[in-house]
Amino acid sequence: MSPPTGAIPVIVRILSTVGGAVGAAIVLAVVVAAVFAPFVATHDPDAINVFQRFADPSSAHWLGTDQLGRDLYSRLVHGATVAMAVALAAIGMALTIGTLLGIAAALVTARIERFILILFDIIASFPSLVLALAVVAVFGPSTVLVVIIVGVTLIPHFGRVARAQVLTLKNAPFIEAERLLGASTLRIVFRHFMPNIAGPLVVLASMDIPVVITIEAGLSFLGLGVRPPLASWGGLIYDGYSFLSDSKIPVIISSAALGLATLGFTLFGEALRDAVDPRLNRDP
Amino acid sequence: MNPLVTIRGLCVDAATSAGTAHLLRGVDLDIGRGRIVGVVGESGSGKTTLASALLRLLPANISRISGEIRFDGEDLLTLDSAAMSALRGTRIAMIFQDPMTALNPLFTIGTHLVDVQQRGTAGLSRRDALTRAEAMLTTVGIPDPKRRLSAYPHQLSGGMRQRVMIAMALLVEPDLLLADEPTTALDATVEAQIVQLLSDLRKDFAGSILFISHHLGLVAELCDDLCVMYAGTVVETGPVAEVLAQPKHPYTAALLACEIDDGDTGRLTSIAGEVPSALSTPPGCVFASRCSHRVPLCDHAPPPFEQLGTRGTACLRHRDLAS
Amino acid sequence: MTTPLVAFRDIHVTFAGRVHALAGIDLSIAEGEIVGLVGESGSGKTTLCKVLTAMVRATSGTIEVAGEPLAARIKRDRLGFRRSTQMLLQDAVASLSPRMRVRALIEEPLTIHGLNAAEGKARIEVLRQRLGLPAEALDKYPHQISGGQARRVAILRALILAPQLIVADEPTAGLDVSVQGELLNLLLDLHAEFALTYLIVSHNLAVVRRITQRTVVMYLGRIVEAAPTAALFAAPRHPYTAALLSTHPSVDPAKRRERIVLQGEIPSVIDRPSGCHFHTRCPHVQPRCRVDDPPLVTETSGRQVRCHFPLTAA
Repeated sequence: MSPPTGAIPVIVRILSTVGGAVGAAIVLAVVVAAVFAPFVATHDPDAINVFQRFADPSSAHWLGTDQLGRDLYSRLVHGATVAMAVALAAIGMALTIGTLLGIAAALVTARIERFILILFDIIASFPSLVLALAVVAVFGPSTVLVVIIVGVTLIPHFGRVARAQVLTLKNAPFIEAERLLGASTLRIVFRHFMPNIAGPLVVLASMDIPVVITIEAGLSFLGLGVRPPLASWGGLIYDGYSFLSDSKIPVIISSAALGLATLGFTLFGEALRDAVDPRLNRDP
Repeated sequence: MNPLVTIRGLCVDAATSAGTAHLLRGVDLDIGRGRIVGVVGESGSGKTTLASALLRLLPANISRISGEIRFDGEDLLTLDSAAMSALRGTRIAMIFQDPMTALNPLFTIGTHLVDVQQRGTAGLSRRDALTRAEAMLTTVGIPDPKRRLSAYPHQLSGGMRQRVMIAMALLVEPDLLLADEPTTALDATVEAQIVQLLSDLRKDFAGSILFISHHLGLVAELCDDLCVMYAGTVVETGPVAEVLAQPKHPYTAALLACEIDDGDTGRLTSIAGEVPSALSTPPGCVFASRCSHRVPLCDHAPPPFEQLGTRGTACLRHRDLAS
Repeated sequence: MTTPLVAFRDIHVTFAGRVHALAGIDLSIAEGEIVGLVGESGSGKTTLCKVLTAMVRATSGTIEVAGEPLAARIKRDRLGFRRSTQMLLQDAVASLSPRMRVRALIEEPLTIHGLNAAEGKARIEVLRQRLGLPAEALDKYPHQISGGQARRVAILRALILAPQLIVADEPTAGLDVSVQGELLNLLLDLHAEFALTYLIVSHNLAVVRRITQRTVVMYLGRIVEAAPTAALFAAPRHPYTAALLSTHPSVDPAKRRERIVLQGEIPSVIDRPSGCHFHTRCPHVQPRCRVDDPPLVTETSGRQVRCHFPLTAA
């Protein structure tokens, strides 16, 4: 069992590796951009200026402008808000539902466990992009649908980990001790299982952020996700791609921003995983 | 005759996140030829570290090891690692508390028993080795040895696995056998069988045994010499019967008083206080904080280990206490 | 005759349809008694404790707690039963939720049972001092306290509920010899102070001899002998008991019993021997033992033994 891991030592351990430090810096930048977009952005992301189409980067437009003369930097910053919102909503949904289903699978009857596991298998075997195409074909593109589709496809991810964690803890002496004291199942789940399985699930969630960001970008690129004019990274790349003959700068910059953010979250997630991994705590 | 093993001033420190842990704080111990030396001590006494040091298989976080371990005249601490590993499993063998840690689950019992012999004797044929292995399994009391040779470790019970470990150790005829709590994990009636086996085997085994246990009664029955450890030091040594009949060190006496024996009544005895942390260095005697015979001098400097004939003790007051 | 606090009648527990962990247990524990339970792997002593604490349901047979069937008791008042019957688990440190501080762990029973928090906290303070648990331990996590302290925390959590019966599974396992006496003294004192009844499971025969009034010996899921502790240790009637008692090595050569080394290994509960289940290892085995299963006979002295040819004091 890992001892209670304080936040400070974990942060120190993340920052002590190159990958972790770089990842943390990028994550911090993206999060700040996402939360304080109106203040971080230099322009209104939707302000069209047809006289400034495909402007090169300059002091007025740090990263240049797009086909409608909108400030690319500001659109990227606002795109971060969309990306983070979609990621947090989808992962939050998957984390909640997946954890509850996983715990239920581990604790309730064998029949329910089998049912839940089959459900996980079905969801996991469905490619999210195909699912998204099908759903969008029926309901039309929408941000909410993107969140729901991505969220549902991630449920098995969290559900399986939660189930495995609970299975290993289920017969732990401290759980038996709580039952002997008369604690109800709900109390045991929320007071005793949750704090002890939270670590691995949070790590998993952080590693899923870049996955969700790329899926959202992919769907938006295909025109199936966030609808224009709302700025999203996938949409920015699509726009840049559509006007590739006019200027190469928007597509390069948008793609680079997406790649950098994904890399940052991945590095951060890996560092977090290593930092809370009890096997790396080599104290006697 | 000079002893097989002479340990002098052995110190082992480990680096931990909380600071330097003193696992052994200057251990002096002799292991006589053909003797069974019982090492007793409570948790944190350093008895397992002592065994690991003899094999030079210490954990990776060891930051310092000093003193000397003379094995048949040679200082094990100065040997190069090739020479040391040549000694392991040939002249020094070990039996663990949990045999599964030492048996490879993918190999049969026969393979284990053949391998240990071929390590020790170059050119020994597999057929000869198997014949000897089968005979040895009979010696250690394993029924139907021919069939057991092709069994895998998980197919045997805990008691049988421990017998296999003993067979492996005996096949190489080591000069020194280290046994770390070899019966602790076994059921009482099976433990009795293994203890019986070990005492029966004494006739056939010429080497010395270092028998580590937390169980004073077991050591009393099985061993010739006793070594009492406390907080990384040896506090008392000597022939088992003599030490137990008339302990010289207050810790040995206190430990004996804590033994619950047949016929005792009334309140149970315990030693007040706690073992000092391995991270701290008491200025004087490590036992002083719990000792009922403590005088101011005890806190001045660690008491020297005094050898008086066959007996040895590290207590300033052992003369006063004897009377 | 007064109603026993606990009465097992012909209790069987079968896992997965073939593992007969308990095969017909008849046992009563009187109020205020200290009963010791000894046995090796497969003897069923752990399962017996779990049945008694309603963690495992008996496959057949009845258990009565203070005259009321256990199932009915739990149906009527589950929390009341939990308060009356407490258990100390073998690994005290592992029995404390690792991410909670000791203080929260100790206050948990109050919340679970909806007890008055102010009164409860006052009682905790009294018990904490009584048990000799240092105040600074309250702010630590379980892995930061010693084994002895963790046991005191577990005892405090049980005592705060004012139980009648405490089942203690290996109360000294993993404790150093130098501190086990202190803990056993404490358990004995608490027995008197709080009018408790104890069922103490231990493989340490010296401990059982020293602190229990009656000893129950189990082998392969059945009771083979039960008798007042002093009488049982002085003159065991069952050959298995005799062998078990002889395994305890004493530091004093004068007190050493001649060791009876049993042949062979403990059979599996899945594949029980015919006749007397102990016959495969019994040094006194007779032809009858191989075919005829002896019942647990209550002798006129009140001692119980399951053997066709019980030993007599030499």
